[in-house]
Amino acid sequence: MKNILEIKKLSKSYSGNPALTNINLAIKEGEIHGIVGANGSGKSTLMNILFGSPVIQETGGYEGEIFFQGKKINIKSCSEAIRMGIGMVHQEFALIPDMTAGENIKLGRERTYKFTDRLFGRRYSFINKKQDYEDAAKILRKLNMNLDVSIKIMNLSTNIKQFIELAREIGRQDLKLLLLDEPTAVLNKKDGLELINILQEMARGGLSIIFISHRLEEVQQICDRVTVFRDGKLVSQYQKGKFSINNLAGDMIGHLVSKAAAEKREIKGRPIISLKRFHVKMPGEEIKDMDLTVFKGEILGLTSLSGHGKLALGYGFMGLYPVEGEVFYENQKLTKMEAKTNIIKGIYVLPDDRQGLGLLLEHTIEENIIFPGNQIKNMFSRSFGLKILDFIDRKKSLSHVQNLIHDFQIKCTSPKQKVKELSGGNQQKVCIARALTLKPKLLFATEPTRGVDIAAKEKILNMLIEINRTQNTTIIIASSELDELKRICDRIAVMVEGKVFKILSPDSSDLEFGLALSGEEGT
Amino acid sequence: MKNYLKNYKIQTPQIIISFFLIALICLAFILDMDLVVLLNESLIKLVMNGILVLSLIPMINAGAGMNFGLPVGIIGGLIGLCLAVNFRITGLFGFVMSLLFSLVICLFLGWIYGLILNKVKGREEIAGTFIGFSFIPLMNYFWTLVPFQNREMLYPIGGQGLRPKISLENYFSNVLDDMWLLQVGSLEIPVGLFAFYGLVCIFIYLFFQTKVGRATIAVGENEAFSKLSGLDISRIRLIAIIISTVIAGFGICVYSQSYGFIQLYDEPLSMAFPAISAVLIGGSTGKKAYIFEAVLGTYLLQTMYLLTIPIANEILIPELTEILRTFITYGIILYALLIKDRRGNKQ
Repeated sequence: MKNILEIKKLSKSYSGNPALTNINLAIKEGEIHGIVGANGSGKSTLMNILFGSPVIQETGGYEGEIFFQGKKINIKSCSEAIRMGIGMVHQEFALIPDMTAGENIKLGRERTYKFTDRLFGRRYSFINKKQDYEDAAKILRKLNMNLDVSIKIMNLSTNIKQFIELAREIGRQDLKLLLLDEPTAVLNKKDGLELINILQEMARGGLSIIFISHRLEEVQQICDRVTVFRDGKLVSQYQKGKFSINNLAGDMIGHLVSKAAAEKREIKGRPIISLKRFHVKMPGEEIKDMDLTVFKGEILGLTSLSGHGKLALGYGFMGLYPVEGEVFYENQKLTKMEAKTNIIKGIYVLPDDRQGLGLLLEHTIEENIIFPGNQIKNMFSRSFGLKILDFIDRKKSLSHVQNLIHDFQIKCTSPKQKVKELSGGNQQKVCIARALTLKPKLLFATEPTRGVDIAAKEKILNMLIEINRTQNTTIIIASSELDELKRICDRIAVMVEGKVFKILSPDSSDLEFGLALSGEEGT
Repeated sequence: MKNYLKNYKIQTPQIIISFFLIALICLAFILDMDLVVLLNESLIKLVMNGILVLSLIPMINAGAGMNFGLPVGIIGGLIGLCLAVNFRITGLFGFVMSLLFSLVICLFLGWIYGLILNKVKGREEIAGTFIGFSFIPLMNYFWTLVPFQNREMLYPIGGQGLRPKISLENYFSNVLDDMWLLQVGSLEIPVGLFAFYGLVCIFIYLFFQTKVGRATIAVGENEAFSKLSGLDISRIRLIAIIISTVIAGFGICVYSQSYGFIQLYDEPLSMAFPAISAVLIGGSTGKKAYIFEAVLGTYLLQTMYLLTIPIANEILIPELTEILRTFITYGIILYALLIKDRRGNKQ
């Protein structure tokens, strides 16, 4: 088979820090080529180069040569890449929030009215919205999704956004090379598998796919070849069927990963929080009529298929979306669902949308870690009387932050580095460090391991276990990674259509979980 | 700050202005003008306009955009000045009293201004422009009807209503400019004036070190994050807007004592745009601004203004100065809006 893409001696550095060094890689026609690597190993940089992201040009371009269909290319912008037939699904969403799902899917190749085509030319022609929506719905049905395509993107949940983004690329006729950056990261297992089937079918039709994923089972399952990156270098390459997951994991990290696991225990005690007929009106992830009791000191898993409400609970407590119903927290009724009041009471949320909700990207690591602790609880402050005029006690905060950086192995140059320069896994560690600083009694972690590599993933899970065991923090983890939940949770609540459907023990079989997730009682 | 200077990147506007400035200085040299006198004047011009420019910083950093409603604060300052003159308070004490009067009035005006701007989140710049435009005619009634008694302020004939230009000569004109003059050769450095400027800079710097100041920057950068962290966003924005308004009031007091006159009626309207272009020339993006940018921008812009007048008079038609002035002031704002939009699209 011919090579569709050849990369020769590719190097790229960001202001002196090498992100990629001397990469040689060839992608064949109709091949699904997996690329795996820890966070910060240069996968995303490679994608950005291939897709002509402006970040690359702004930071001085790259060295080396890229050949696409035998011709040497130098992609300077995304539109150039699209014209050549390269498509990309981003790890962080690249959708226009103010436009509807249908408009986003058909963006750039809208159907138009023939008559106006002739009258004004193709570019100024009127868009046939109805047909566009039909097309969009058809593409989504291919992904087994039934969605009203006239809903605006900003009102959809992250999981659905990921599908929309996929649908946009899959809908293209001229697509020759598809770049997928963690396409299944935000999907649950079932949706992920479906997506994989679709991808395999497309590859059989001659499409080449570069597939980046942290889920090694998936990579093993669908990729014809797999390349492993570590610290910006290509370390190994395997043919399908000639490697095991442990091979990949070993190459990625340089050493083997020990998986996090919490010992099993029975938690019975007094409830820390109980919900009665609780509603959270988060579009796309609504909670309706939820009843749940969480015991003090336990780790409760919360799982559901996408759109069934597992993400909304924590945000409801922080007042981001309107809530209804009764909540008793430490035997007291919570009357005000507002971030400040609840943070003071000891409730905190780790958001799933790190870049949008979880971090001040332009601020330093130090400031990100101490921010709510300092603002809400006046920690690390040096007072001259009036509280709102407090300065930061830099010495105290710096030593606190340095300890956390050391404990959590946050990869950075100094506590003064800007958070936007860190990789996804390290950003998440910063978020958890921040939560830890607040010493919460009840912590909601929403998708804590999304978009994070294995090593960091286990580290993060271990951190959560440690917080739970040493500080007796009750943790509610909302996640679609059932395997992880089973390893660290004391109980796992399965949600269906915004309600708790069943509470299972982590030792329950996959079959039981599968049935519960799809709302079947089973026998 | 140290980190900031290390990462400071010179951008197109600074390059254009700097080239222009160098060309002007060369011309001034060739035309045999007294460069020391010009330098002296440029220092005074820096502070004269500089505080108005500094007043933009809190609002920009709170995410409330460039303060096109600067006239609100300026009017507060003008009322303060008029009160001081009305009570015939002279000298440095008069100036300090005018600051105090304007502080009280600006606190009130800023509070109302902030409440309005909190209702138009995301469109503060255009709303501010029109608040300024509509506030001016209202104040024109005020100036004509206000029952001030000092005859030096009133129209000479009829004795009612304030004059458009009130001389401060008998009160506190140049009181800061002439304070603690330091002679270095033939150069006169107005230490008092700079001390005051420095105080305002330090005040703003310290404000951003406080808890509420740091919250202000966070709100400006990521409102959703701030909300999730439990901040009261409206309150923080309100505080930033009030501080901006108060500093603007101080700014016009300093401006007037340098200029020697209080200018009333439509005059405040023309002050917002040069101030905004100054901070943009200094390298601000309009989303985040640093003190250094405000100082640098003011100096570049005001020195350029200063040099164009005598040079144009010497070699060209005098009207050209005014044309250039207006063109650069508005052109830079347009440029910034273009840049800002492009940055927004990237995300």
